[in-house]
Amino acid sequence: MNPALQLTNVRFHYPDGKEALRGISLRVAEGECVGLVGPNGSGKSTLLLHLNGILPERFDGDSHVRINGRLISREAVDSIRREVGLLFQDPDDQLFCPTVFEDVAFGPTQFGLSETEVRAAVRTALAATGLSGFEHRSPHHLSSGEKRRVCLAGVLACNPLILALDEPTSNLDPRGKRKLMVILKSLPVTKIIATHDLEMVVELCSRTIVLDNGEVVADGPTRELLGNEDLMMKHGLEKPHILRHHHPH
Amino acid sequence: MHIPDGFLDAKTAISTGLFSLTGLGAALRITGKKTESKRIPLFGLAAAFVFVAQMINFPVASGTSGHLLGATLVTVLLGPSAAVIVMSSVVIIQSLLFADGGILALGANIFNMAIVAPLLGNAIYKIVRSVLRDDRGRLIAASVAAWCTIVVVAVVCAMELAWSGTTPLRLVVPAMAGIHMAIGLGEAAITMLVLSAIAKTRPDLLNGNKVVALQSGDKRLPFPGILLFLGLLLLMVPLASEFPDGLERVAHTLGFAQKVGADGVSISPFRDYLVPGIHSAFVSTIVAAIVGALVVFVLSIAMARVLVPRAQSVDELKTEVD
Amino acid sequence: MRHDFLDRYSRLDSPVHRLSTVTKCCVALALIGFSVAFKVEVWWIFLAIGLVLTATVIASRIPVKFILTRLLMLEPFVLGIAAMALLQAGGFAIFLNIIVKSTLCLVTLIVLTNTTPFSDILSLLRKAGIPSLLITVLALTYRYLFVLIDEAERISRARKSRTFVPKRARSWMSLSSLIGQLFVRSTERAERIYAAMASRGWK
Repeated sequence: MNPALQLTNVRFHYPDGKEALRGISLRVAEGECVGLVGPNGSGKSTLLLHLNGILPERFDGDSHVRINGRLISREAVDSIRREVGLLFQDPDDQLFCPTVFEDVAFGPTQFGLSETEVRAAVRTALAATGLSGFEHRSPHHLSSGEKRRVCLAGVLACNPLILALDEPTSNLDPRGKRKLMVILKSLPVTKIIATHDLEMVVELCSRTIVLDNGEVVADGPTRELLGNEDLMMKHGLEKPHILRHHHPH
Repeated sequence: MHIPDGFLDAKTAISTGLFSLTGLGAALRITGKKTESKRIPLFGLAAAFVFVAQMINFPVASGTSGHLLGATLVTVLLGPSAAVIVMSSVVIIQSLLFADGGILALGANIFNMAIVAPLLGNAIYKIVRSVLRDDRGRLIAASVAAWCTIVVVAVVCAMELAWSGTTPLRLVVPAMAGIHMAIGLGEAAITMLVLSAIAKTRPDLLNGNKVVALQSGDKRLPFPGILLFLGLLLLMVPLASEFPDGLERVAHTLGFAQKVGADGVSISPFRDYLVPGIHSAFVSTIVAAIVGALVVFVLSIAMARVLVPRAQSVDELKTEVD
Repeated sequence: MRHDFLDRYSRLDSPVHRLSTVTKCCVALALIGFSVAFKVEVWWIFLAIGLVLTATVIASRIPVKFILTRLLMLEPFVLGIAAMALLQAGGFAIFLNIIVKSTLCLVTLIVLTNTTPFSDILSLLRKAGIPSLLITVLALTYRYLFVLIDEAERISRARKSRTFVPKRARSWMSLSSLIGQLFVRSTERAERIYAAMASRGWK
């Protein structure tokens, strides 16, 4: 049974020579929810961009990323993008159409669905994110929480098997965060979440990977890793409050 | 310079509309073929950027403020065909969203600000740039191109108004030209300042419009901008015969025009330029423009010295291909 | 600077707003076309157009003050050219023509753009055969107008908190620097937008 996601010695350096990823290898099983944590500059966002072939810009056979067993290559990249849904850090980067409907419909339309299928996909995705009725709204009139959810709807409308999210709770107020986490919890797809929000990681992700300076420095059960104060301090993180006090369950 | 509806007659609106369709169509075809889809979001953002940049008030005298047009700036940063598309988007959005610029006048407004402006700016920029190849040269070329473009676009706008019978040619051309020779100074200065600001953080972004060194025997087609400009000049000739003779009337009154000195030396310095049918006021506008361009050139050199303290004479032209 | 002045009324509910986009555009073009085609001497056409417009403005529930403000902002060019028009043979007739026609056309356009969401106009243009490259660029321009205005405000506020009231020359440098920074951020955002578009299948 193929892992949903498999990275084998993935390396990446930016045009200016700076190394962002120094040989990352990891596997994520189907249905897992993995938290990806680490200090700023550790390569979290860069790693996510490798999951649907946005990076590297040219495939030179150096790194191997397999989605459901299939290697990402120039030929495979189109179908891979259908399977891996990427949620970017800044919703304004991802909400590029004049209305909510058009934006959520973008993915399905690009992937070749018929008009009826597109409309159905949009309806379902908006319902799943609690945004039914938002079809004709303009993105610039939405709150940041609503924008985030529209982005998520846009990704869900493509029916991905894997969801890769980059800082999904940043800039959200507690209510917005709660709403988003409820939605994420309800989704059965494989999830990998890059974030600074360690409280969310504890609540959603059974497994956590710690990234620092382009390398995997720890990979294991969330509570164990995030509860390890030395590990957290060493990599510029802090033990989340939720783990600070022992709650007998 | 956005012309509202009601100012242009049918023939002017239709002919400028046809020119715009051709120019924009060509730009779309060129970009569609040779540009990766990666650049398209950049066009959209660049158009939004121009729109916002045009909104910014640059204080001039008490109460008045100047604004950037941005056509030359975009041409320098993105290249001519991209600039045509970007500026066309700006003009269209301003009309359809703001009512700034009429719908039937869209053809003329696109022609003026999105076809003539970028193409002429590109031509002048590249010509000056091919001579002045360092960082300062880039600023100077952009500045001169910006000034000239503003003046020419103003004159073209004036000609459209005159051709429509809205305003008399002899008034509107000198008025528009004169006002915009002053406004052009602002455009030139702002263009230089913005480019030098970009150079400080992302100098790589200044290589969007590369210049090929012209070699002797080079059979390349001359810049469309220059062809366009010459075409416009030719158009002005029959129109200009309507010009009353500002200078010539003075000369006539004073009895100069009849005279040629016995020894063949012409009395009026402009006598040599007089071609049958073209009066000297027309010529004096052109001369003023040329003098103005030279003044701007000199001022730009001074300003470039301030903005780029140490000139880097990197001869980047040897390796660049357009 | 609030930016919904660009788009404040296009989604109100009124009999005019509810008309289809095609209808609104055709009526607007007809009104503009008639205004431009006839001379002011044929005064009854202009009276008719004026009445139609007044009725439309009232029905559209757009505040008259808003329309007048927009009109005032666009008048200077009209008045300048009109003044020049006076200085020729038959100038007064031309002057009158300009004032009446351009005002009627401006009001028509203002009402049209404020009763029709821009995305609807874009769909109409797409169906009318405008090349998709241009439609995409127009859509992105419209969408990111507001984002860039916000971005410019942020840059400007960051500066203001660090400088005193600048002299005129300094303010030109400061404003140009703002514009420069805005361009750089726009370029970087465009790259991210491309990545987002490509991630959802765009080629």
